[in-house]
Order: sequence, then structure tokens, then C-alpha cells
Amino acid sequence: MIRRVWSVLPGPLLLRVAEAAVLVAVGLVALHFFYSWLGTTFLDPGGTIG
Amino acid sequence: MQNVPAVETAPRLDSAEFGLAARLARAVGWTLIWLGMLTLGFVVHQVWVTTWLAERNQTDLDQQRVAYFDNAEINEVEYVPPVIDPETGQIVVGAGGAAVTLLSEAAPPLGQPFAVIRIPKIERLRNGWTVVEGVRLVDLRTGAGHMPNTPLPGQPGNAVISGHRTTYGAPFHEFDLIVPGDTIEVETALGTHVYTVRETLVVKPTDVWVTNPKPGAWLTLTTCNPKFSARERLVVVAELVDGPNASAITGQL
Repeated sequence: MIRRVWSVLPGPLLLRVAEAAVLVAVGLVALHFFYSWLGTTFLDPGGTIG
Repeated sequence: MQNVPAVETAPRLDSAEFGLAARLARAVGWTLIWLGMLTLGFVVHQVWVTTWLAERNQTDLDQQRVAYFDNAEINEVEYVPPVIDPETGQIVVGAGGAAVTLLSEAAPPLGQPFAVIRIPKIERLRNGWTVVEGVRLVDLRTGAGHMPNTPLPGQPGNAVISGHRTTYGAPFHEFDLIVPGDTIEVETALGTHVYTVRETLVVKPTDVWVTNPKPGAWLTLTTCNPKFSARERLVVVAELVDGPNASAITGQL
């Protein structure tokens, strides 16, 4: 899948590296918010009552 | 010339030779690998990333808390202790006899770091953990928050502070070690309020009665229970025994 995404990135090599870096960063941020939601919902909501 | 036997190369698993079953097995295999990586990422995120974020925040929050202490508005207020009506069991405010003078501070805005909690017995809280006002998710990402609409620590009534047990620095991680008689200190702009633990209990997350007001000055700490689960709440109930308002409040009871 990673190779397939890499192959469809447009532009010369340097631009493709930059595009890939942006995609990775966006993915990590999305994953951070997803994990935060998952954690505060099911694992440890902070001990609040009510 | 020596004859070298031809090396037979195995056909690729996803080639047409293997058909649909092989392609399916390959897809399932990759799905499991990705799920495993996502699960591992979740554990790393919850245990280390959130703690790193909370501890990094603590440094900033502590500086904000010091500035807040310097500018906090402290007033003297008249306080008449409540009594419990023996017939109804309800608290009757302002019916407890002679008024006493207490030191009081204004309620901080939501998200404001306004106190430090120290529990000598708990390693993570030995040097203090900054407490912010509010128990919204964003407030609790700093580790511990004070429930609005309950009194501030050191004031009459039942001050409630909630904190994370597993993630975001997990300041209340070792709360199962706390037993009656242990000491809890909460420092606010007024000074240091010393509490003694009276009881610990495990309740359901919906048991809001633990936050109810009661005569005297109390501190109720709540966190998730058991560790790594949101199924129950571990509650530590402590009574004010020393501090700027302690003798005025307890002397009236």
C-alpha cells in the first residue's frame, strides 16, 4: 500500500518526498486525535463522577 | 561442462496460480499486521505520549500557577456553619450558630492552574502536581482538575478533584495505596491546607452522591478503577485538619 501511494504522488523526487512527509504528518495528527478519543472514552476518562 | 540443475522458483502467493483463496489470505494477513501496529501505537500513545504531553504541560502550568498566586484576590468572609436537620437529614445552610471569619479566594476561571496537590505517600505526587479548574476533557489532559460548583480546597464543604489513573501523567496511579490516616496537602493562594484521609471507597461512575456537600471541610479525590479501566471510580475522602481556615471551620463543629 505504501509503495502504491508513493507511486501515485505527482512531481519530481524532492517534491514527492515533501508530499509524503506532509501525508505522514497529517496521518500522525489524525491518529493522535483518534487515540485520544479512544483512550478517554474506554480506558481512562479522567476519573470524573457523573 | 557440468550440468547445473535449474532452480525452480516458487510462484508468488498472489499470482493467478493460487487464485482467490491466496489473495484473501494475503489480505487478511496484511489487515492483521496493520491492526497489530495500530494497537501497539495505541498503547505507546496512551502510556508514553500522553504522559509526555502532561508532564510538559506541568512545567508551563506551574509557572502560570505561581503568577496566579501572586495576583489572587483574597478576602475575609463571614461564615455560618450549616447543620443537618435531624428530621429530614438535609443540610440547612447558615443555621449553625455564631459566624466565624474565613479567608476566601475567588473561583478561578476554567482551565486556570490554581493549586498544587501533594501526597507524601505517593511517589508521583510527592513533589506536587498542579491542579487546574474544571473537569472537561481538555482540563484533565493536564492530569488533575477541580470540579466547578464544589468549594475550593481549604473552604467549607466538599471540594472535589478528579485525576487520571493511567494516562496523561497518571497522577492518581497509585491511589490504591492510600489508606485512612494518610496525609494530603493542597496548596492554594491562601496557603497549604492539610487533610487526613478518612475513608476510601469504590463506586460507580454515576454515583454523584460522593460529590454532595456536607458539614465541615472535606476533600474528595476521584479516579478511574481498576487501573486501565473506566468501569468504576476509586474515591478518597479526606477531612481538613490544618491550614488557614481549619481551626475556624472545625472549631464550629
